Amino acid sequence: MDALYAIPQLMFYLLAGLVAISSLMVVTSRNPVTSAIFLVLDLFFVAALYAKLDAHFTAAIQVLVYAGAIVVLFVFVIMLLNLKPDALRGIRFSVGEAVVLLVTLIGFVIIGAELASPVPEGLPAGPLSVAAIEEAGGNTHVLAMRMFTSFLWPFEIASILILLAIVACVMVARKEKPESGKHNLKAGAGR
Amino acid sequence: MGLNELGLNVEWLQWNQFTVDLVAFVVKFALLAGGLLQLPPLLVWIERRVPALMQRRRGPNRVGIFKFRLYGLLQSLADTVKLIFKEEVVPDGAHKVFYHLAPVFCVFPAFLVACAIPYGPDLNLFGYVIPLSVVRVDVGFLFIFAIASLAVYGVTLAGWASNNKYSLLGSLRASAQMISYEIPLGMSLIPIVLIYGTLDLGDIVKAQSTFFQWGVFSAPFSFLLFLVCMFAETNRAPFDLAEGESELVAGFHTEYNSAKFAAFFLGEYVSMFVLSCLAATVFFGGWQVPFVKYDTVVALMGGSVNLAAIVCHIMLVLKATFFMWVYIWVRWTLPRFRYDQLMSLGWKFMLPIGLANIVGTAVVLAVLRFR
Repeated sequence: MDALYAIPQLMFYLLAGLVAISSLMVVTSRNPVTSAIFLVLDLFFVAALYAKLDAHFTAAIQVLVYAGAIVVLFVFVIMLLNLKPDALRGIRFSVGEAVVLLVTLIGFVIIGAELASPVPEGLPAGPLSVAAIEEAGGNTHVLAMRMFTSFLWPFEIASILILLAIVACVMVARKEKPESGKHNLKAGAGR
Repeated sequence: MGLNELGLNVEWLQWNQFTVDLVAFVVKFALLAGGLLQLPPLLVWIERRVPALMQRRRGPNRVGIFKFRLYGLLQSLADTVKLIFKEEVVPDGAHKVFYHLAPVFCVFPAFLVACAIPYGPDLNLFGYVIPLSVVRVDVGFLFIFAIASLAVYGVTLAGWASNNKYSLLGSLRASAQMISYEIPLGMSLIPIVLIYGTLDLGDIVKAQSTFFQWGVFSAPFSFLLFLVCMFAETNRAPFDLAEGESELVAGFHTEYNSAKFAAFFLGEYVSMFVLSCLAATVFFGGWQVPFVKYDTVVALMGGSVNLAAIVCHIMLVLKATFFMWVYIWVRWTLPRFRYDQLMSLGWKFMLPIGLANIVGTAVVLAVLRFR
């Protein structure tokens, strides 16, 4: 009886475990394609955690943008470069990596301290409590209203910044066009 | 009568909303998965008999039980048995893990997406309301696109793990195509969201209660865009460049055989079915019976919500069947595109039209609401 009601909670621990395992696999596996696929799984399970919190919109966007689009490009690049697993083996421990490790450890300590501190009992009240969100028409609705009313300007500015980044990428990646077709023809004929 | 008086009670199972939801979820998923597994054999049979009809050939018509040939219907059964029992050959140079995993990546998203389609109005059993979709997500559209976008990995991995240049080329083509056409596919549905004001597929169906409220009338351009992207997303003809036989042997599944080859088939047919259901749901009123309001259907069925749900479910299946037919029809009607044509159609034609469609719909809606 009780075991049945524990299923949602068990699902949380299952998902959390899967997230942890796949994150570890991303950084520890030798083959870059394996890493990329575990990254996809990782993002997917994190999205499942969001969905468990009833944040369906965030979950869907997480999978759509990260797992469905960005990592696909990673996978493409890795596959086309065709890195051999061996090529990665002999990497030494550099100073930069040591710094990263140190910062990560400090981050873990901070997060751990935060987690260890007592959690306030119950859910927060106010306009963003579960009941209030349900009242206002669900998570997606509340998110949309917030985004397009109080946070309209940041939202618009972010989209323009992204547009700028896209244009910049195209400019950087653009190949110089040959001067003219005629010139090329001549060069070919002279060879 | 409540479920608790039915004698089904055991010590560890008390019927309440939670347990009913749980059991309903398991039963619905089992029914759906079981149903979807029946699809490919039937569709393969249709896909061989229909072109035979169109091209004045006979098609498979021999396999039957004793004297009953059943129009060759059992050919698919024989083929399935053959595919499952065939010897599995794994290429030497293949990446073993991903080679075996790739079909899973193809099938899993297709089945998961099928869970979000509303297959009918709510049932009412023993005083509990049971929605006729396996999961109710309040962002139905986005859920479908999100999960469907994961299908790319199956194709990409299959091509890469096979260690065959034709496979790799086919998978590159397929994944570039799927990513490109996902964008117009998503854009084609934004006007629908604008018009009905919700992302929930169940609510969209409810909003199409009368015939002229159907999405195809309120957003005709969206429907045309969706129809084209539907073919591209499933890698079906005329966009089946991923397996262009004359250039790539069989594309990304060149090195696959036996049950794993069948799994790719299963994935393709299930995603065809899901997109057909989505087209019916979004543009053709979903489970709504044409010209008859849902309340009238309930009244006609003697006030029984459950009988009405069955009628409505059959309606959706019929509508989806029509789109499956369109898939097969188009496949045997149109020749394959060239790859550059496909890409320029996607990026230079579908994308601007999709954007213009969104802006146009938004302007019309704004004008109508301001008046």
